[in-house]
Amino acid sequence: MSVVPEDLAGGEHGQRSGLPPAIRFDGVSKTFASAGGRTAVLAIQDVSFTVEPATFVALLGPSGCGKTTILRLADGLIQGDTGQVEVFGAPPKPGPNIGFVFQTFRLIPWASVQDNVEFALKSPQFSQAERRERANRHLELVGLAEFRHAYPGELSGGMKQRVALARALATEPDILLMDEPFASIDAQTRELMRIELMRIWTDRRPVVLFVTHSVDEAIILADRILLLGPRPGRTVKTIEVELERPRWAYDARAEPRYVELRSYLSERMRELVLSDPSSEFYGRDLAPPPDR
Amino acid sequence: MIWVYRLGFLVLLVVLWILAAQRFGRNVVPTPLATFEAAQRLVAEGRLMSALGASLTVYLSGYALAVACAIPVGVVMGGFRLLGKTLEIYVFALAATPRVAFIPLIIVIMGLGVDAKIFIIFLGALMPVLINTYAGVLAVDEELVEMARSVGSSRQRIFISIVLPSAVPFVVAGMRLGATIGLINTVVAELYTAVSGLGGLLAIYGNTFRMAEYFVVVITLAMVGVVVTEVLRHFETRLARWRGAN
Repeated sequence: MSVVPEDLAGGEHGQRSGLPPAIRFDGVSKTFASAGGRTAVLAIQDVSFTVEPATFVALLGPSGCGKTTILRLADGLIQGDTGQVEVFGAPPKPGPNIGFVFQTFRLIPWASVQDNVEFALKSPQFSQAERRERANRHLELVGLAEFRHAYPGELSGGMKQRVALARALATEPDILLMDEPFASIDAQTRELMRIELMRIWTDRRPVVLFVTHSVDEAIILADRILLLGPRPGRTVKTIEVELERPRWAYDARAEPRYVELRSYLSERMRELVLSDPSSEFYGRDLAPPPDR
Repeated sequence: MIWVYRLGFLVLLVVLWILAAQRFGRNVVPTPLATFEAAQRLVAEGRLMSALGASLTVYLSGYALAVACAIPVGVVMGGFRLLGKTLEIYVFALAATPRVAFIPLIIVIMGLGVDAKIFIIFLGALMPVLINTYAGVLAVDEELVEMARSVGSSRQRIFISIVLPSAVPFVVAGMRLGATIGLINTVVAELYTAVSGLGGLLAIYGNTFRMAEYFVVVITLAMVGVVVTEVLRHFETRLARWRGAN
């Protein structure tokens, strides 16, 4: 097990002069038409943040705070109404340099596991042999090499998400966008998937934007947490996690910093939900968890 | 196992048939044995086979023509939303009009020959295939399309590798519907235009109360229907092997 270099282990993010940040949002707003098309819904309002290379950022917030919208903007799948989105100094374009892992896996049901992974490699920059080799290597990485001829319908939820992860990693992207990737997986598998993700990340160091509504997931994975508020989605606070990596090597949950962050973030999340007029808990007098 | 049940049900049908023959008299409902003898006669004379050949020729020509036109039109309508929106109301209107209504017009324009028959079958089989293809293209999983966009796929590639394959089950379902309607229209065409084929035999034996022969023709038509839909079903399961896992 390699020791993580000091300057990358969270905390101070090396502001390498001259290089543009990996991701930059500057005053970005986005409005969608509602389901009926009658009213416009402001999904995110005036969101600004920057992410330096090799940083793992968690976007944490209750539902309705535009987390998915931020990822789609960062991939260039949609354009903002106002403000600017830049990835390595240019407007983002979907492609092999940005990997996207979706909450609902989005595997092609009629294609084998192997073909699903190769689907991300179909750009002319990869030869046929290289596609095969990369798909095999990444299926091996997520432990699914012997399932390469299976169809997605034959796999469990956790396995499907590993295929989706292999697909996103196969191009070896500089940026990995993950939209609640472990939300539809059972708790035990989720725990192991986090460790798997941390190992891969430690090895490759892509920029990760990881959407989650789980406080624990955000703390255990991220260098930095962007706390988002709902309706309209907006950034509320940025928090550096400052827990030593690799975090699977010790019981990070017992660290004072973890406990402190967890109770702070849980409290803020609770406030955000209770003050959201669209929430079913709006205005209810729910006592905070008792102090121990 | 299912074949045992199916055979059991066939026995039940034959028993009901025998009872019906006794109840209505064998001049109205011939016994299975009389029907079998009539079938042997018709086959020996060569009349059944030549009628079957004539019917299958117009049926398969009209049907193949319908499929060959309906799939591309449905795909284009689904692929270009504005075109689809413009045309769909006319397609639905045409699909809802009883095709028999066009037969006098078709006869005036095309006469009573093979062309007219093929066109009547074509018209019947066209709409189910077209409408299902169109619906299949529109029913594509938008989440998969977004996934394809996120890996940098071009519009053409998304259409070819995501939209079209996901429409296939719809298309095959439409082809099965079209095959049934095409067979109905085959008989209709053979009755309304120059009397020929199985429809022609049906008219001749029905009008002259030769019920045993008449029954042979009905059963032959049913068997053609079974064979065609079973072939398409087989085709469907082959195409959707990945579905078997679910």
